[in-house]
Amino acid sequence: MTEHTVRSFSQDLEELSGDLARMGGLAEDMLSDAIQAIASHDLVLAETVVSRDPQIDNLQVEVEKKILRLLALRQPLARDLRQVISALKIATELERVGDLAKSIAKRVKLVDNVGAEGALKGVARMGRLVTAQLKRVLDAYTALETDAANKVWARDEEVDEHYQSLFREVVTYMIEDPRTISACAHLLFVAKNLERIGDHCTNIAEEIHFLVTGEQLPTERPKVDALNSN
Amino acid sequence: MSRMDPIVPQLRVETPRQGTARPMALPTKVAARSVSVFYGDKQALFDVSLDMPEKSVTALIGPSGCGKSTFLRSINRMNDTIPNCRVDGEILIDGQDVNARDVDPVLLRAQVGMVFQKPNPFPKTIFENVAYGVRLHGLAGSRTEMQQIVETALRKAGLWDEVKDRLNAPGMSLSGGQQQRLVIARAIAVSPEIILMDEPCSALDPIATAKVEELIDELKSNYCIIIVTHSMAQAARVSQQTAFFHLGKLVETGPTEMVFTNPRESRTQDYITGRFG
Repeated sequence: MTEHTVRSFSQDLEELSGDLARMGGLAEDMLSDAIQAIASHDLVLAETVVSRDPQIDNLQVEVEKKILRLLALRQPLARDLRQVISALKIATELERVGDLAKSIAKRVKLVDNVGAEGALKGVARMGRLVTAQLKRVLDAYTALETDAANKVWARDEEVDEHYQSLFREVVTYMIEDPRTISACAHLLFVAKNLERIGDHCTNIAEEIHFLVTGEQLPTERPKVDALNSN
Repeated sequence: MSRMDPIVPQLRVETPRQGTARPMALPTKVAARSVSVFYGDKQALFDVSLDMPEKSVTALIGPSGCGKSTFLRSINRMNDTIPNCRVDGEILIDGQDVNARDVDPVLLRAQVGMVFQKPNPFPKTIFENVAYGVRLHGLAGSRTEMQQIVETALRKAGLWDEVKDRLNAPGMSLSGGQQQRLVIARAIAVSPEIILMDEPCSALDPIATAKVEELIDELKSNYCIIIVTHSMAQAARVSQQTAFFHLGKLVETGPTEMVFTNPRESRTQDYITGRFG
């Protein structure tokens, strides 16, 4: 993309991309640390995740302010307009990812690892998958690669399948040993949060596709229904 | 958009998200067919073909010297007045070529009204400014009918309430915005079918601009309006179809919302986002 004739406009847009990249980096770190904390029952690491959440929230407020100013003062059009609108939406998605990572971290102290090792392993596996999805979609955003974004979008099915098999697995653990019910119930919430983060990744992928092509991805994405497959 | 919760079965409601590209359903009023314009040896317009629908606004945009005004002026044969100017191709109004031998340019210009960048009222009264063309074309049978036509035109131009008590004041005594609306009243008094506007708001303040834009919006239910503007925002606000010209060529045309959100051509993209070299 060539420079804008009004260079300060290009600078505004670059600044916005920088803020989004920072939000993305924070969200990614919070997520991988939250998963690490839950897998290794690391209360200190979990606490740092919780304490980082306000940074993302503040950045989101900052991004919204900048976008309001950009719309009022620059009246962006065409791809510039799409870039600004998608940045607004992606910032919201990343803020939600931060919240969900915080929610996972808060559960670390509620999950007693004794007896729930199997479930924990499953959650950690799903966590790695979702972290990879987030990393890929953020890379796709930085490089503005629709192909990469579309792959993330299509791969969410895998996340959903993972969630459903984990759901059944954890329920089995609870039946086998009722003493693990409390820990396992919390782990189910963790798994649900991860599944939601996967959805936020697909929303970001949709925004990338829209930003680059000006077209919306179809509303229908292959979806697995947990109740039907049970 | 919120994702469906996989452990709760839900009904999906289908909502069409595509569909920003609406086909132009209105019939064509003005059709340009391979129009080229030459000033002596210099070619100013290259092979432009464009359909302009009735009852809608077509905006012509592009950098200075891109040929958009030349194109506009070829529709009512204003280029005839320029020596050495030659127009190739056809401009069809309701299928009739405006350059055909039997077309009288004076009658053509009654059918195709024009509004210029700077308001140019005649040095006459407000009433006479509007009545002039009506009288020229013999459109009023009586004094009462003339008064009726003038009032209707001034009402349509949104100027009546501001001038009804001083119809005998000079047209020049009005403010710039009022003068521009007076000129629009003068154009519509002779019952044209097409109104050409060449940067009609570039000399007006934002309120006067808003009034003219509101007027354009109202007039479009009766007329085919073709407007040249340097303001992207104005093109976006008032038009349904946008055509982008560059170096004498028509680069891209489409529904306005498509051109301003997702143009097909990179040159259009660069121009409307202010990246043009």
